[in-house]
Amino acid sequence: MRAFYKGGFQPEMNRREAALILGVRESAPEEKVKEAHRRIMIANHPDAGGSSFIAAKVNEAKDMLLGKKTGGSSIF
Amino acid sequence: MAAKIIANLLVAGGTVLFRAASQAYRQAIVNGTRAGMTAEGVQQAAKSAKQLTLREAEMILGVESGSSWQDVMKKYEHLMQANEKNGSFYLQSKVYSSYSNLQSKVYRAKERLEQEFQEQGLPTDGPEGGQQQQQQSGGQ
Repeated sequence: MRAFYKGGFQPEMNRREAALILGVRESAPEEKVKEAHRRIMIANHPDAGGSSFIAAKVNEAKDMLLGKKTGGSSIF
Repeated sequence: MAAKIIANLLVAGGTVLFRAASQAYRQAIVNGTRAGMTAEGVQQAAKSAKQLTLREAEMILGVESGSSWQDVMKKYEHLMQANEKNGSFYLQSKVYSSYSNLQSKVYRAKERLEQEFQEQGLPTDGPEGGQQQQQQSGGQ
């Protein structure tokens, strides 16, 4: 059994963490990212007893992985 | 005879590994600083990555600071199950870390409170363990 990652989330998300959150590779194709996001969001939906903090992180992870992919607008 | 040698080797090996690890950690910070992270940023990252704050643990599990331990357990079990089936290992880790962090903090707080209560000669069986408000309502 793998050892759990320690500690909390990174204070600022990066691509690596985003990929870990969604359980995909950083280089995963868009459809995979979207599918992982959908599946994980459903599991962690706040309305279904999940935590909104985690849900926000999952969303942020998707945006991060997809945003960079399409070379979209920088968030800065 | 052989056991002693092996034990020595293990200790030596462990020490080397530990030193290597702390050196690597320091080097990582230096590299990070070169990459533009400030000292606070690094400390934040180190703190967040290594030490989960109480507030973040509560946020991750989705509990309020006044929640009972039962609520915490319920959220923990629900989140662990949900992410076991359809989440990522990373998320499971975060849920688990939060839970064990809250558990140790709650237990420590409870112990401290019980100690204080005992010193003051008050009963320690009550369900109100959480808050730090000292409501001296005269016991009963």
